[in-house]
Amino acid sequence: MSDFDQMIVGEEWESTDLSLLETLDHVLNRGLVIAGEITISVADIDLIFVGLNVMVSSVETAKDVLRKHETTE
Amino acid sequence: MSELAYYVYCIAESTAAAQLPVDSLPVAIEDASKLEWISVNALAALASQVPRATYSEENLAEHLTDASWTAIRAMRHETVVEYVAKRATVIPLRFGTIYLERAGVEQMLSDKSRELESIIEQLRGREEWGVNVHCDPAVLFSRITSVSPVLRDLVERAGQASPGQSYLMQKKIEALRVDEARAAVNRIVDQIEDKLKEQSDDTRRLRILKVETTEDGELKAKFAFLVKRAGFEEFRDAAEHLAQEHQNAGVRLELTGPWPVYNFCEGLQN
Repeated sequence: MSDFDQMIVGEEWESTDLSLLETLDHVLNRGLVIAGEITISVADIDLIFVGLNVMVSSVETAKDVLRKHETTE
Repeated sequence: MSELAYYVYCIAESTAAAQLPVDSLPVAIEDASKLEWISVNALAALASQVPRATYSEENLAEHLTDASWTAIRAMRHETVVEYVAKRATVIPLRFGTIYLERAGVEQMLSDKSRELESIIEQLRGREEWGVNVHCDPAVLFSRITSVSPVLRDLVERAGQASPGQSYLMQKKIEALRVDEARAAVNRIVDQIEDKLKEQSDDTRRLRILKVETTEDGELKAKFAFLVKRAGFEEFRDAAEHLAQEHQNAGVRLELTGPWPVYNFCEGLQN
């Protein structure tokens, strides 16, 4: 998982796990777009992200799958 | 594996790539392949082979609708880029940039070398920090008469007015609460943007795809700031200061990062 920090700024600093959605938002929606021979279109990405955003339960499932996946390696 | 294609994660300088042997790097997007640097002169792209069938246009669209499939790969993409970004100046590519042949990656590095090198120069020594602004509407609403200058003034005048006038002023205060709360949020968000802009080299206001209600209230704005590593303390202090200043209005700031500079490398849209 990402080891970036997410901090709530306030009276005191708290460090929490960065949400998967926050990370997916970065990876899927941003970053330099260079035309590869196969490139996911912006419209596709939007649909994917809206889908992921709506299906929070699926994303949580994905998180579990991911965790299991990474720990078995 | 049968036919293969190249998935590209990010671009760095060849000198930096030479310091990051592929054996030390995180896992590639697909288990079966290892990461590799593809260098052309001063630039190097970090890539790995993927099965062409899985990543073909029609199959990819299908896989992407599977949240688990996408999330695992997006996180691996992120882990790889993050690893390099901590050790070198890097241009993160968006998820899903695929070349059918190695020569295609080399061609791209060579064709775009000038633009890519200039982007790397702009990003050198800098990181991206995210700032999310949350507001608890109930808290803001309950304190709006002290947060809003207009209402503060009305409350003060109502206190000194005759009972009849005071009654009318109270009516007006109640009527203005909702609008003033909305205006206060906008004003605070603008102020946060302005103040943090002063502490950073570049700013992006990001769209909010869904209004998320969390324990911190509703997400009202999302920003990305390009911050010099050397200037992060000042940036964080400014964020801290703003958080304290607006806490009374039910506003909370969330700082995320450091991110690879995902939001500050556009301008190469072909």
